[in-house]
Amino acid sequence: MEPHNEAVAAAQQAQIEFRNFNFYYGDYHALRNINLPIHRCRVTAFIGPSGCGKSTLLRTINRMYDLYPNQRADGELLMNGRNLLDPKMDVAALRARVGMVFQKPTPFPMSIYDNIAFGVRLHERLSRGDMEARVEWALRKAALWDEVKSKLKASGTSLSGGQQQRLCIARGIAVKPEVLLLDEPTSALDPISTGRIEELIDELKSEFTIVIVTHNMQQAARISDYTAYMYLGELIEFGVTDSIFLKPQRPETERYITGRFG
Amino acid sequence: MHLHLRRKIVNRIALGASLVAMACGLVFLGWILWTVLMLGASGISIALFTQMTPPPGSSGGLLNAIVGSLILVGLGTLAGTPIGILAGIYLAEYGRRSVLGRVTRFVNDLLLSAPSIVIGLFVYALVVAHTGKFSAWSGGVALGLLVLPVVVRTTENMLLLVPDTLREAAFALGAPKHVVIMQVTLRAARAGVVTGILLAVARIAGETAPLLFTALSNQFWSLDLREPMANLPVTIFKFAMSPFEDWQRLAWAGVLLITLGVLALNTFARVVVRPEKSSH
Repeated sequence: MEPHNEAVAAAQQAQIEFRNFNFYYGDYHALRNINLPIHRCRVTAFIGPSGCGKSTLLRTINRMYDLYPNQRADGELLMNGRNLLDPKMDVAALRARVGMVFQKPTPFPMSIYDNIAFGVRLHERLSRGDMEARVEWALRKAALWDEVKSKLKASGTSLSGGQQQRLCIARGIAVKPEVLLLDEPTSALDPISTGRIEELIDELKSEFTIVIVTHNMQQAARISDYTAYMYLGELIEFGVTDSIFLKPQRPETERYITGRFG
Repeated sequence: MHLHLRRKIVNRIALGASLVAMACGLVFLGWILWTVLMLGASGISIALFTQMTPPPGSSGGLLNAIVGSLILVGLGTLAGTPIGILAGIYLAEYGRRSVLGRVTRFVNDLLLSAPSIVIGLFVYALVVAHTGKFSAWSGGVALGLLVLPVVVRTTENMLLLVPDTLREAAFALGAPKHVVIMQVTLRAARAGVVTGILLAVARIAGETAPLLFTALSNQFWSLDLREPMANLPVTIFKFAMSPFEDWQRLAWAGVLLITLGVLALNTFARVVVRPEKSSH
């Protein structure tokens, strides 16, 4: 599947870019001097041992750390050329463009329909018919429509774990973001549900830029186009996934992906 | 081998001791319920629910006291619940670690453990002494002050049980904080908050001391909030202390009514709090 040249050029251009980026939990310097591009409509995976900072890095892209007063970032984090760290940045508008899915499914205590409509209502005023169409569109994109179309009024918490996670993906997509952040989205799921989510990620990347944090290296190798290996708050190596896994440039990366450490 | 035997014996002893303790608790509870039922049942009749409290020596019922109690408990709940929920939201969602939050939590704990007679005297000094007479609405204020700390505490605790990832998920969609609280966290904690309110209602249903100084009592039918109002606990107090046998019988019937009411509320609260996991 190779689209025409213009699209290829757009895709290869970095949509998000970290430049000399640092992050602090209080006095603790958690991320050191990160320089990293995230490419448009590609899947980028962050891998590395626990505590290396990969989730922290992911959570800066939608300014999640704003919720916690002692966390701060400096350097540059550019999205479409604008610095997201700018204090004047409208965080609500940013979060409409950057969706996020968490490790444990987080359905809201409301109906399946309202779970999807919740985010849309925050940013758009749609007529009833348009909202219904949007909900269906998002659920179809998340490959959940056929399973829930007859029970949209049922509680979101009544679904199985894998369905809940796809509901959360649908909820994120419904706002029509440009970027989807996935924070270990399958680590709480069984292998079959995991497989479905991975297929879904592969389909979604034609429309969305996807960044995924994963503990599972096979998963990173299967689904990502680019991989960033992190260790102790530093970016050790970044590149096309195949070359990271087949011929890593740095010995630390090789040790990690061959399972000799971490 | 020796070690295992020792463990087995210790286990037996611990199990036996806790069973005895449990039996003690249950026996007294059963005893209380049995006594109330035996002595109260004879007073239960149609007249109890249709007639006013009688003068000594004539027949009557508790209608004015039952209705008065419902009004007073309603007033107290109405007064204490909204403030309590809002304060609980502040403590759990805004002031978790702030100085104001810590002070509020401490003061609330004091209020929670304050003897109800102190609340009664406080409202007496604040309201009754100034207006110059006992009134139903001063009773409502006193009961509201008893409801308040219970609702604050349960609302805060139930909101703290909501996982932070749920809050983050809502924030991640660009929701402002008040929307996150009203539509996500408060909704997730709904069952627990309702339970807290029900338990607070159960607590004030039998309170006598705060009403003695505020709503007092009324021999007659009155719905005027500016006048003293009849209520079950004070009527029970008055009738049970009297030498008249028919008054004492009515007092026991009143005790049975309150006991059954509180039992029903508690049972209802248990059923409501049960997590609604599979609500298809």
